[in-house]
Order: sequence, then structure tokens, then C-alpha cells
Amino acid sequence: MIKKFDKKDEESGSGSNPFQHLEKSAVLQEARIFNETPINPRKCLHILTKIIYLLNQGEHFGTTEATEAFFAMTRLFQSNDQTLRRMCYLTIKEMANISEDVIIVTSSLTKDMTGKEDVYRGPAIRALCRITDTTMLQAIERYMKQAIVDKVPSVSSSALVSSLHMVKMSFDVVKRWVNEAQEAASSDNIMVQYHALGLLYHLRKNDRLAVTKMLNKFTKSGLKSPFAYCMMIRIASKLLEETEGGHDSPLFDFIESCLRNKHEMVVYEAASAIVHMPKCTARELAPAVSVLQLFCSSPKAALRYAAVRTLNKVAMKHPSAVTACNLDLENLITDSNRSIATLAITTLLKTGSESSVDRLMKQISSFVSEISDEFKVVVVQAISALCQKYPRKHGVMMNFLSNMLRDDGGFEYKRAIVDCIISIIEDNLETKETGLAHLCEFIEDCEHTVLATKILHLLGKEGPRTPTPSKYIRFIFNRVVLESEAVRAAAISALAKFGAQNDDLLPSVLVLMQRCMMDSDDEVRDRATFYVNVLLQKQKALNAGYILNGLSVSVPGLERSLHQYTLEPSEKGFDMKTVPLATAPITEQKTEITPVATSKLPEKLSPSRQVIYQEQLAAIPEFQGLGPLFKSSEPVQLTEAETEYVVRCIKHTFANHMIFQFDCTNTLNDQLLQRVMVQMEPSEAYEVLHYVPAASLYYSQPGSCYCLVRLPEDDPTAVSCTFSCTMKYLVRDCDPNTGEPDDDGYDDEYVLEDLEVTVADHIQKVLKPNFGAAWEEVGDEFEKEETFALATVRTLEEAVNNIISFLGMQPCERSDKVPESKNSHVLFLAGVFRGGHDVLVRSRLALADGVTMQVTVRSSDENVVDVILASVG
Amino acid sequence: MGLFDKLTSWLGLKKKEVNVLCLGLDNSGKTTIINQLKPSNAQAQDIVPTIGFSIEKFKSSGLSFTVFDMSGQGRYRNLWEHYYKDGHAIIYVIDSGDKLRMVVAKDELDTLLNHPDIKHRRIPILFFANKMDLRDALSAVTVSQLLCLENIKDKPWHICASDAVKGEGLQEGVEWLQDQIRAMKT
Ligand SMILES: Nc1nc2c(ncn2[C@@H]2O[C@H](COP(=O)(O)OP(=O)(O)OP(=O)(O)O)[C@@H](O)[C@H]2O)c(=O)[nH]1
Ligand SMILES: [Mg+2]
Repeated sequence: MIKKFDKKDEESGSGSNPFQHLEKSAVLQEARIFNETPINPRKCLHILTKIIYLLNQGEHFGTTEATEAFFAMTRLFQSNDQTLRRMCYLTIKEMANISEDVIIVTSSLTKDMTGKEDVYRGPAIRALCRITDTTMLQAIERYMKQAIVDKVPSVSSSALVSSLHMVKMSFDVVKRWVNEAQEAASSDNIMVQYHALGLLYHLRKNDRLAVTKMLNKFTKSGLKSPFAYCMMIRIASKLLEETEGGHDSPLFDFIESCLRNKHEMVVYEAASAIVHMPKCTARELAPAVSVLQLFCSSPKAALRYAAVRTLNKVAMKHPSAVTACNLDLENLITDSNRSIATLAITTLLKTGSESSVDRLMKQISSFVSEISDEFKVVVVQAISALCQKYPRKHGVMMNFLSNMLRDDGGFEYKRAIVDCIISIIEDNLETKETGLAHLCEFIEDCEHTVLATKILHLLGKEGPRTPTPSKYIRFIFNRVVLESEAVRAAAISALAKFGAQNDDLLPSVLVLMQRCMMDSDDEVRDRATFYVNVLLQKQKALNAGYILNGLSVSVPGLERSLHQYTLEPSEKGFDMKTVPLATAPITEQKTEITPVATSKLPEKLSPSRQVIYQEQLAAIPEFQGLGPLFKSSEPVQLTEAETEYVVRCIKHTFANHMIFQFDCTNTLNDQLLQRVMVQMEPSEAYEVLHYVPAASLYYSQPGSCYCLVRLPEDDPTAVSCTFSCTMKYLVRDCDPNTGEPDDDGYDDEYVLEDLEVTVADHIQKVLKPNFGAAWEEVGDEFEKEETFALATVRTLEEAVNNIISFLGMQPCERSDKVPESKNSHVLFLAGVFRGGHDVLVRSRLALADGVTMQVTVRSSDENVVDVILASVG
Repeated sequence: MGLFDKLTSWLGLKKKEVNVLCLGLDNSGKTTIINQLKPSNAQAQDIVPTIGFSIEKFKSSGLSFTVFDMSGQGRYRNLWEHYYKDGHAIIYVIDSGDKLRMVVAKDELDTLLNHPDIKHRRIPILFFANKMDLRDALSAVTVSQLLCLENIKDKPWHICASDAVKGEGLQEGVEWLQDQIRAMKT
């Protein structure tokens, strides 16, 4: 176990660590005594320890000095001191990659691994495998095979584990040792059996059939080793997940049967596997939960901990299944092990009734200061979940959270709290002002830049729309005075939003911002200058476009387009519309409070899926000159599961064309398909221009073919169309074992499901953080409004979901969430239509007998407005 | 006091421990020879080409020998020099049936003799013209001529023919080496 040094200890350097102030050069100097004869094992041992310590501290050793020390160390093989020899093995492993010519010890190690001293043999094998590369592996192969089946368990285990490491390097060589590994797998020693099974699995894991066979074999013959059982359970559940196997599968039976194993470890593993299965029903869950329940009252703390931790996870997905354990969990809330107590309480918070919340919260606040950050995060997660369930408890929770926010704690913990407060605010408008006030107080003394900027962003977004925006200005401006560049810049952006929306605050905002135009940091200065100039224009549309709603293009896409533009200079200005839009808008809409710990750090700007498609398509000569790729749909399955051929389609939309990309997989191992294409018959005036077939489809290797279609020019409202699709190809039968195809083949075809193009394929989602401003910006020049009755829809929520998925637009202002027990709702949707026109939809919904919907559409282009209304009606 | 004298007095003090480097081309029989010299209960059954080196020990007439049995393969020969400083004596093994590579053996020997860690030391060198049992094996005298041993003036040397598989000729050589080492002490 790694000992965690206390911070204080580290700073005071209390001398508890004799290796604290080692100097590399001095240690290497000392290493010269390795060259002296006779060898002094005690001294040499001490120096080797120092060298290893330095290496583990990350000290850099140059090749020459490392090699010199290494060769000096090799002389220590003269000594027969056991401890010294084992230290040499460790040194060899540590230096394997930094010294040159480490193979010099190969014969010394093979001698030790085949020698009479059992204590040397295992470690010698492990060291040997570290210094052996692919070219040398053949030379030691014979020894490895012998060692794997050696009757000394430590030798066999070492050989198996080392082989496992070498699988990465020389799969083909290690594969030849499979018979030896098989033999070891029937060993009576529990570790050997486990390691052998591990090696066998890794040699076969890419071959699902072989893994299944292996599982069958061992589940039938039974195993001695509980570790091996645990591994089999993991393999089985992975396999179940991959094959989406049902609970009637023998694999599931195996896991279930392990619930009755005599080893607690195996029982726990099986229970844990079952509760983590994606589609587990209450009935399947019950036996697993009841063994966990038993563990809750075990005298072993580790078991209680494992059980309650697992129940805690289950409680998120299946609270009702865990309710049965409430009594046992109640007993654990006073457990002397605080980790167990915390998990028990937070589990109860998820499963218990509203009335017990206050009591539990009180209990937990009695020791929250004693537990580690990691568990505090667990508490915050529980509160998050609770807030969703019991909106009436928001007040209590907010109080608790604000206290926690004032406590000491690391970044992860603080971030969890902040995220939780933000989601409460977003869920419950009444808590907005208190929540914002807590956050304001927090940023007054917040060492985490990421959190400060996040909160400032939130203040900029929400603050101007509260009854008294002015009270936030002070907190924001304090940041400009006191903080680092990143925070100052965020504060400026937040201030600008107040200026843009609150006329009476504008003069003071301008004064504050003008001061920042002298800031020492470029970014801060640039932002201030930019915003001041925009604000001085006093134009709503400018404010909306440049302050309240930012860029909607993808940043990596913008970078690429600009780069491209600089490579091919032209007379024309740079056209923003050629830049791909940001897909999957950075989540404003957290519809569900996901466990806080899984919320990701700001995403890295990796090229989006769409940028990748764009490049792939651009590489095909037939698809030149279509302009920038506007949108790529999610894949649509055109075949049933488990059919001979699996085909899915991705629809790529361009300004005037569409490309259909068919990803096809041939699941027949006795066929090779060639010249594969999907023939498309449109129902409307869509014109098929070109097919690009896939040359060959080998068994289980996916390939793509394409079809290029021109959209009807004369009728811009013809946005939807149905295509009937048939896959055509040449079949060449082949030998399933060798994959060798026959010389000649025959033509064949396969009917696929119809493919629909809908209005959503022509619209890209765009998030407008401030919908009102965007609405004003587009203006009512082409506004149209119509009222519809949705007779078949029963609830507002259903109506909202239908509209969103039908239009494929981005819900804004969290309007996709329908508050409970309301009978009217307004949904705001934003998007960009093919060709680059902004389109906004406001949809007022009223629940009466069915749902009545009044749709108002605004766009910078009249056709677009018509298209939307036509397709809704 | 020269290095040699230091060595002598030191050898006198420390219970007669001798470090020997066993050098020579690959397949010449180094490991087989050392194996023969070890007590029978410590002998290895099958001998494979050495990779890098291995350290072996044996005793003979009150002296303890620690032998650095080096690998003779071309790509490892440059590693010999790391251990030159450790050697109090050298055993150089030649495959007397391998006429083709006699020049290589000579080359390596010359490089060894000219190495700064060896050149100025009066370090005894024992040559085994090994594999004398082979039908077309060269005699010890011929080997000695081909290697120009007579040119070695500043170091005691001795050559004997040997058959390492049967163990013939080895004892004679080791005895010579012992005498040399005892002589160094006085
Ligand atoms: N006929 C015969 N064969 C010998 C004699 N000595 C060694 N051999 C054989 O020669 C081969 C090589 O012997 P090794 O002892 O491995 O040679 P080495 O010099 O240690 O070789 P490296 O470790 O590669 O440098 C083996 O097959 C020995 O059995 C000998 O005197 N006569
Ligand atoms: Mg050898």
C-alpha cells in the first residue's frame, strides 16, 4: 500500500525518510564499490536501495551513467547473498529501459531461473522478461515453457504473469505457449490457476468464440481458485454485455450460480456483476441485492464496505430494489468506519422517504468534517439526486451545500458542490437568487480558476435577468481587481452581459470596463475593448449577436477553415457560413443530474465526428465541389439485428446535395462480397447522381459505399423523401477456414429497410444561451404563426419531446423540461437551416383535451419559415 | 608500488580468491570448460550459447576461482571490456577445429592485449586449444603460431590442447594457472 505522506510532514522534512536528500552524483560515486572484491553485501544493498529510490522519484539518469552503474551492478552476481541478489533483480527491472546492453545479464538470469534456489527463480523470470525484446525472446522460449508448468507455484506464476506482459510485445510467440498455460490452468494452486486463466484469456480475447469455449470448459469443470472465479465472472459479464445476451444465457446462469459459491469474494463479485448489468430487471436483481444485504452485517469491515458501496451505486438506478436493505443500512450509519457510515447514509438518502431526509442530513453533518474529500463528493452526489426527487427540500439542501462550500476541501469536492448548486438553480427558479448569492460569496475566496470562471459565466447569464441585477456587479468587479488573467477575462464577459441587458446599469458597466482597457493582459484588454465598442453602439441586434449569444461554429472547424483560407488566398472575404457548426452544443441542458463525479472537464477540442466525415468524404473524387458538409445524421439501421449483412446509413447534408454513406458488414464467413452498392429509389423529385461502390467486403470487416443525391432545386419546401434501398453485389463463396474465395461468383441482392429524409436532416442544432436576445436579433420580418391540435398526444412532456426530435432543433433556456403539474408550457428551439439561415421556433403548448400548440417561426429567410410550418402541419 | 605488487599483496591477504575472465569466440567451448572444472554436483547438464555473461565458481588446490564466462558471439564481444579491470587472470579458448575463424580469434586477442585495462598489466593468460579430439583439429603448436603467441613478451602465457567434453587437458592448464598465481604472491 502506498503511504500517503501528510503535507505537513513533507514540508517540515522531519527526517523520517533517510533517503530524503540523496544526490544522484554522490550515489553513483558510491556505486563504485560494486567493483571491489570481495563484495560487501550489506553496503551494496544499501546503495542499490538508494539507486532504486532515486529512479522512483523520477530522477533522470543519462544513458552513460546508467549503463556504467548497471554494469557495475552485474558484478554483484558473484555474491550469493539472497537479499542482495533479489535487489539486483529489482534494479535490473528498473533500469531495463534506461541502461544500454542490459541483455548482458541474460545468461545469469536464465541460470538463476533454472537453478536450485527457489527463491531466485520467480524473480529471475520476471527480471528476464523485462530485459528480453522480441528478437531475444526465441532464445528464452524453452525456459519460459518449462517455467510455466513448473511445480513450484511462485515460478509458474511468475512465468505466467511475465508472459502476459509479453503478449503486448510478441503476441505470436507467446501464443505458442498456450498448451503450457492450459496445463497450468488445472493447477491446484489458486494463484497459478488464476494467472494461467488470465494469460489464456488475453491470448484469446479478440476471438469471442474461443473465449466462450474457454468459459464453458471451466465453468463445467469447476475451479479451485476464487480469484479465477472472479475473473471468469468479469469475462462472462463483459461477454454478456457485448453480445447483449439476455438473462436466459448460460453465461448469466453461471454468474448467478456464483452467488452460492463458498468464497465471499466470489459471491461479492457475482453480485456486483449482476447489479451492474445494463438491463437488469428487479427479479434478477433481488438475489444479488440480498447477498449484499447479508454482507452489510458481516463482522469484516471490508465486506461491509464493499456491500454498502455497491448498494449505493445500485440505489441510483434501482432505488426500490435497495429499499429492502434499509434496515441494515440504518444500522451502518453509526459504523465506526466513517467511509461505511457515509455510504450507508447517502444510500438511504437515495432510497429513503422525504421525511427521513432531515434526520439523515443531521447525522451526516455531525461527521462530514472527518471524512475524506472522496466521500464528501459521495455526499454531494446524494444531495444532487435528492434534490431531483424532492424539490421541496431545495431550501434545506441549499443551506447544507453552502456550509460545505465554506469548508476546506479540494477541487473535485468544490466542483461537485458548485455543479450541484447550479443544477438546483436551473431546476428551481425560486432558489436562483439564494444560490447565486452563495456562489458570489464563494468566488470571493476561490483558488480554483475553473470554478471561478464557471460561476462568472453563470452570473453573466442569469444575473441580468434577476430582479436586482445591480447587486452582482460588485462581486464581479472584485474579480477584475483581484484575480488572475483567466478570471479577469471571464469577469469582463460577465459584466458585458449586464451592460447589454440592463440599460440603467450600462453607464457604470462602461466606466468599469473602460478601466480594464488598460489591463496588463492581452486577452482581458481585448475583451474589454471589444465589448465597450459593441455596447457603445446601443444596438439590440449587435448585443444579441456578439455579447449574449456567442459563436455557434465549431472552434476546431473554424481553425481549419481559416487555415485553408490562408493557404488559398482569394479576393472574396472569409465566409463564416462555410464553417461547420458546433455539433452537440456544450451542455447547457443537463436534463438529468448525472452523478457529479462523472461530469467531465471542459471537453478537449478534438475534431468532431463531423470534421472527420468531412475529410473522409472530401477524399472521394466523385464528391468534389459540394461545398462544406452541413450536417451528418446519427447512423440509421437498415437491417434487423443478427442478419447476414448489417447495414447502417449516415445521411450527410450539403447545401444542395446529400450523400448517403452505407456502412456494411458481412457476417458470413463463407462469403466474400464485391462491388457492393446500395441502390436507392426516391419517392420525390430527388435525383440520384452517382454511386460509389465498396470494392470488397471481407467477412466481419466493415466497408462503406456511397450514393450522391441532388436535392430538388425548384421546390425548396420538398424537404422530406422516402428512399427504398436495395443492396447489390457480387458473391464469391469462400472456404470458411482459410478465407480463400472461389474464382468466380454470382450477382445477388438484398432488400434493406426504407430510408427517410426528414426536415431534421436539413437543420443543425444551435444553442442560443439567451434565446430572447436571439429572437429580437432575427426580427419579425418573416415571422409566421400557426396553431395545431395534437390529438394523439396526452402530456405536455410527450409533446415537447416529439417536437424536438421531429424538428431536430436545439431546445434553449432549459425549456425542454416541463415543470410538473403545469398545463401550459413554452418551448424555445434554435437551429440553422441548410444554407446558413438562422431559424428560431417558439412553441406555446396548452394541455386541454389533447395538446394545442401555437407555433411561431422566425428566420432570416422566408422559405425556411414555410418549410418548418409545412412540415409540422 | 605498481598495480601488480598491490595485487600480489592483496591476494596474500584475502584468502586466495582469484577472478578469471574466460574469453574466446562463440562455440569455442568456454562454458563447457568451466562446467567441467566445477564440482560434479554443480555441473550443468546441457550447455547453451551464453548470452551476456555468467559467473561461475570452482576451487582448486586451495584457491577459489570466480570465473566471468563471457559470451563469444560477435555482437556481445564489445561487452568483454566492462570486466577487464576485474580479472586477475585470463583463460582464452580457441576452437582448434575452426581454421576459418582463426584470424578472427587472433584479431580479438590482439584487441584484448592492446586494451588500456590489460596492456600494462602482467596478467597471466592461459590458452586452451580446445576440441583437440576433432579429426582435423590443429595442434597446440600450430594454433600458437597462427595466433603469434611468441610475440607476447610482457605477460606469462601458456597453451595446452584440451577436450572439454571429456575433460582432458584441462587440469594441466589449471595447474599452470595456479602456479602463476602463487608466484605472483611471493
Ligand atoms: N567435440 C568437442 N566439442 C566441444 C568441445 N568443447 C565444447 N564442445 C561443444 O561445442 C559447443 C559450444 O560449446 P560452448 O561451451 O557452449 O561454447 P562457448 O564458447 O561457451 O560459446 P558462447 O557461449 O556462445 O560464447 C557445444 O556443443 C559443446 O558440446 C570439445 O572439446 N570437443
Ligand atoms: Mg558459453
